[in-house]
Amino acid sequence: MAVNMSGEVVLAADRERVWAMLNDPEVLKICIPGCETFERDGENAFRAVAKVKIGPVNARFKGKVNLTDIDAPNSYRISGEGEGGVAGFAKGGAAVRLEPAEGGTRLVYDVEATVGGKIAQLGSRLVNSVAKKNADAFFAKFAEAVGGGTIVATEVEAANVATGGMS
Amino acid sequence: MYAFDYQRPGSVSEAAALLADGSGAKLLAGGQTLIPTMKQRLASPPLVVDLGGVAELKGIDRAGDRLEIGAMATHAEIAESPVVASAIPGLCQVAEGIGDPHVRNRGTIGGSLANNDPAADYPAAVLALGATLHTNRRGLSADEFFQGLFTTALEEDEILTRISCPVPERFAYAKFPNPASRYAMVGVAVAKGPQGVRVAVTGAGQNGVFRATDMEAALANAFTPDALKGINVDPSLMSTDIHADAPYRAHLVAVMARRAVEAAAA
Amino acid sequence: MTSTGIGAPVRRREDFRFITGSGQYVDDISRPGQAYAVFVRSPHAHAIIKNIDLSAARSAPGVLGIFTGNDLAADKIGGLICGWMIHSKDGSPMKVGPHPALATEKVRYVGDHVAVVIAESLNQARDAAELVAVDYETLPAAVDVAAAQNPGQPQIHAEAPNNTVYEWHLGDKEAVDAAFAQAAHVTKLELVNNRLIPNAMEPRAAIGEYDRGQDSYTLYTTSQNPHVARLVLSAFVGIAPEHKLRVIAPDVGGGFGSKIFIYAEETVCVWAARKVGRPVKWTADRTEAFLADAHGRDHVTTAELAVDGSGKMLGLRVKTKANLGAYLSTFSSSVPTYLYAPLLSGQYDIPAIYCEVDGVYTNTAPVDAYRGAGRPEATFVVERLVEVAARELGRDPAEFRMQNFIRSFPHQTPVIMTYDIGDYPTCMSKALELADYANFAERKAESERKGLLRGIGFSAYIEACGIAPSKAVGSLGAGVGLWESAEVRVNPVGTVEVLTGSHSHGQGHETTFAQLVSHRLGIPIDQISIIHGDTDKVQMGMGTYGSRSGAVGMSAISKALDKVVAKATKVAARCMEVPEETVDFNDGVFSARGTNKSMAFGEVALQAYVAHKFDSSEIEPGLKEGSFYDPKNFTFPAGVHIAEVEIDPETGVTRIDRWTAVDDFGTIINPMIVEGQVHGGIAQGVGQAMLEGAVYDASGQLLTASYMDYCMPRADDLPSFNVAMTNTPCPSNPLGIKGCGEAGAIAAPPALINAITNALGHENIAMPATPQAIWRAAQSSMRKMAAE
Repeated sequence: MAVNMSGEVVLAADRERVWAMLNDPEVLKICIPGCETFERDGENAFRAVAKVKIGPVNARFKGKVNLTDIDAPNSYRISGEGEGGVAGFAKGGAAVRLEPAEGGTRLVYDVEATVGGKIAQLGSRLVNSVAKKNADAFFAKFAEAVGGGTIVATEVEAANVATGGMS
Repeated sequence: MYAFDYQRPGSVSEAAALLADGSGAKLLAGGQTLIPTMKQRLASPPLVVDLGGVAELKGIDRAGDRLEIGAMATHAEIAESPVVASAIPGLCQVAEGIGDPHVRNRGTIGGSLANNDPAADYPAAVLALGATLHTNRRGLSADEFFQGLFTTALEEDEILTRISCPVPERFAYAKFPNPASRYAMVGVAVAKGPQGVRVAVTGAGQNGVFRATDMEAALANAFTPDALKGINVDPSLMSTDIHADAPYRAHLVAVMARRAVEAAAA
Repeated sequence: MTSTGIGAPVRRREDFRFITGSGQYVDDISRPGQAYAVFVRSPHAHAIIKNIDLSAARSAPGVLGIFTGNDLAADKIGGLICGWMIHSKDGSPMKVGPHPALATEKVRYVGDHVAVVIAESLNQARDAAELVAVDYETLPAAVDVAAAQNPGQPQIHAEAPNNTVYEWHLGDKEAVDAAFAQAAHVTKLELVNNRLIPNAMEPRAAIGEYDRGQDSYTLYTTSQNPHVARLVLSAFVGIAPEHKLRVIAPDVGGGFGSKIFIYAEETVCVWAARKVGRPVKWTADRTEAFLADAHGRDHVTTAELAVDGSGKMLGLRVKTKANLGAYLSTFSSSVPTYLYAPLLSGQYDIPAIYCEVDGVYTNTAPVDAYRGAGRPEATFVVERLVEVAARELGRDPAEFRMQNFIRSFPHQTPVIMTYDIGDYPTCMSKALELADYANFAERKAESERKGLLRGIGFSAYIEACGIAPSKAVGSLGAGVGLWESAEVRVNPVGTVEVLTGSHSHGQGHETTFAQLVSHRLGIPIDQISIIHGDTDKVQMGMGTYGSRSGAVGMSAISKALDKVVAKATKVAARCMEVPEETVDFNDGVFSARGTNKSMAFGEVALQAYVAHKFDSSEIEPGLKEGSFYDPKNFTFPAGVHIAEVEIDPETGVTRIDRWTAVDDFGTIINPMIVEGQVHGGIAQGVGQAMLEGAVYDASGQLLTASYMDYCMPRADDLPSFNVAMTNTPCPSNPLGIKGCGEAGAIAAPPALINAITNALGHENIAMPATPQAIWRAAQSSMRKMAAE
């Protein structure tokens, strides 16, 4: 099931500092909700484990994270694939762009992700809301880590679904 | 299901002691969400602590101007309780509209509130009523208790024991059920009581149950359906799924709010 | 006649065991030493299997065996087959990719079978299945049937370029073009027949067992047609020769078509039983059923109707893309072709019809027959078009239909079928009366006063049932004959056992078939047993689907009963020492005309077995007769359904206020069971029209894989049905039966959509017409009305 989200956050730090933190596995580990490990696995590649908790559901996703299209300190693409055992899988990426803004740096992101397996089969009603909640949680922590900021907006687009035969 | 240990304590303190080691034990308070999740192997608590044997969590009483409901009261008990019917008749209807007879005879109000499913009915009712949620440690206002999607103020080892509702002057709940699951696709509870007018919405918000404060303000002026005219709900705050998109949910919130006021004022 | 004969509303004899929990379903059966199978399924809609690592799973506790597609191939176990050959317009045979029971190189839909784990306990099998590590290289998926044939789409099978299985057609294109050239009016609609997921109360299950001493296999399975399962598993899959394979379909809790097919799981269980030396049981959980049972419907269609200046229908042109899913299921190729286009004439005299159908592979679950199979899709096209044409022409929809009804029989349509008999105007008139059509406008005005929108919709459906004769279906590409067999065994005391190839899984055969015997032999119904569902007991049969058990299965019993009565008459004549031609048989008594001699049926049966009163060189001892019955034609049940709805435009909530059904099923054996079939069929049709719909996302994930999201009809979604019958007995079979099992599901969707669109003032709304869709349409209607 597809999740498309975009949003922006204004962070109280200059672009170089935000960029450095966006590339710091320790910072990312603290900010990703439920992240248990986030370790470097080669240049611009990481291995991560995150525990996802939605109500009574507990799943541990293990996967790879890669940084591509790097244009320091302006933008990169962060993408990943995680296996959640019986829960299913998640994969996707976010284009992240930094712009100078009043009072710091504006971070603009555009997420495209898909989830599959039991999460999609049984939990589709919650996928968008959970994604937004996690994105908001990530940026709240990230803003805290860089020294403050405000989430301007997070928009979740309606999932693109095909009803049997419908185009 | 994965293998798990099972305990059936006889008291809240025994139950709390079983949770204390922080190993991820889960409370079973009817099990209408937990058991299916475990059967799907999406939850694997090492220990399930069944609250079914804790007598002090049961019972429904009227104490002066408050209705006191034990956390382990089933939906069926609340639906059929003469005490509830005389104090807050609309709450019987909330309970009666949950799931099917099997669910109503197993599921409990405490289980539902602690789970805080964004489409559950009780959170809206309890939030609109301005109830106090008592745990084995403290009392929490409904506003403090609900913290978004499946999230509450309860600590991992804290047990919801009792829901204390001030008896309102008026209360009603209007539900638009999801055609498939019959959970609330949109549910609006309105109450006029000692805490003023409160309007709570379930099923619709991106982050679970919430209060519709602009509706409350309008209804505080005049508790009539017409008072809600012209109040639009912001679709960007609504959730979207295959059954209903955000604009439709936003529209239904307004319609259900009006119908709830009609029912409450009747 | 007895009170339990033809026409009596006898209570279903089988219900006592079903409603007291005494039924014996596959999952109720446990064989000594039974082990449990769990299937490892693909979470991806389309992926290459790069590697399957079984090492961790193999060493898990309790594991008896883990197998993949390579193990099946090594044992020369063939793939699953599609038993109906369709040829494209250009004469080429349909293009079919392989369908291994366990995927080998690629997975092609979410739920596709990758490996099977067999362990001592179900939990151990599940634990080990989690340890099977499959390395997938995911591929883009082709999910949308409307787009799957476009250039650049992911290719699902190398054998079928552009995901096209066939480009089939039926009818006379030139005649249709000429008809449209003359038309005074053309009505055109784009229609989607939504994908449905069958939901029998009992999910599929199987137990495979191998007897080393006898070198023979037994498969207990949830099948509508155990003999066909045996035939396919023997002759095509290659499990074992037929005499070494026994298939038992015990009590089966509903099928609706989805249990006709021979699936991967059943095949693997019976094969694996020998591999592990233990009986192997598999029972689907509900989400497995959603993912991997064959789905139904799923058409995208453009349809046009040409009408002359007087309102006479001239021609019909239909172009359909039919989603067949990721693999061809057992009969999938036939459903959108020969079970669909030949019904496009409906109840109407349409001189020219042309239909093109593309069968399309997509990365979704296989699609096959589901209650009605092709006929609901055809009826939806015809009855939506006719209704909209009437509106566009400013004609009353009932009267427009009346004008175009076929009135003389037999009637040859331009699309294969010869309708044998019917009386469509009588059905319509009776339905109009029962629905109180005359006062509809008054009711509509009353609804409007309450701020509600009321609408009425018609559906004059026809279906072709029985699915026979064999020679005819053979010429259309069927791989099997579609007769039915029966054997009537009379015991020495006059009780009767009937062995039939028609499986009962909710239809009530144990009652209706016994009523036929009671009627014919004049014996009480409790002296009759109906035996079905075991290939070791019943020699051969073609099974239950296509509303055929009455028309074909009971006709076979009737023919066998003819032989029983003929022989018993001979025995009775010898016993009474009278000439055979003077013996009459009525109400269970043989009597000699012109004498006071008579014998009860039971006495004659005893004499047949003791064989004291006749010469065995003249008459063989015993009383047991069999018959294979192949009908002369399809049967053509038809009727009119009228739905009336009331819509709350503020919420989109639609209440069905009235439902009138007048059906012509020919002769009726048990009116209570027939009404029940009509009720159930309408409920399923209402489900399709307003509630049910499989939703795959663009990546091929099934988002409706539980009852949280897949909406089944419930009692409170339905009104009390007003059901009536007319009767033109079918001339093609000895009992005059037409069949009733699918009618409701065929008739209901267009009736309801016609009613909803009538209320909304819209020409079209997609199924399922959910509250959201109806609300949106109501808003746009009201905006339009406000603007006018």
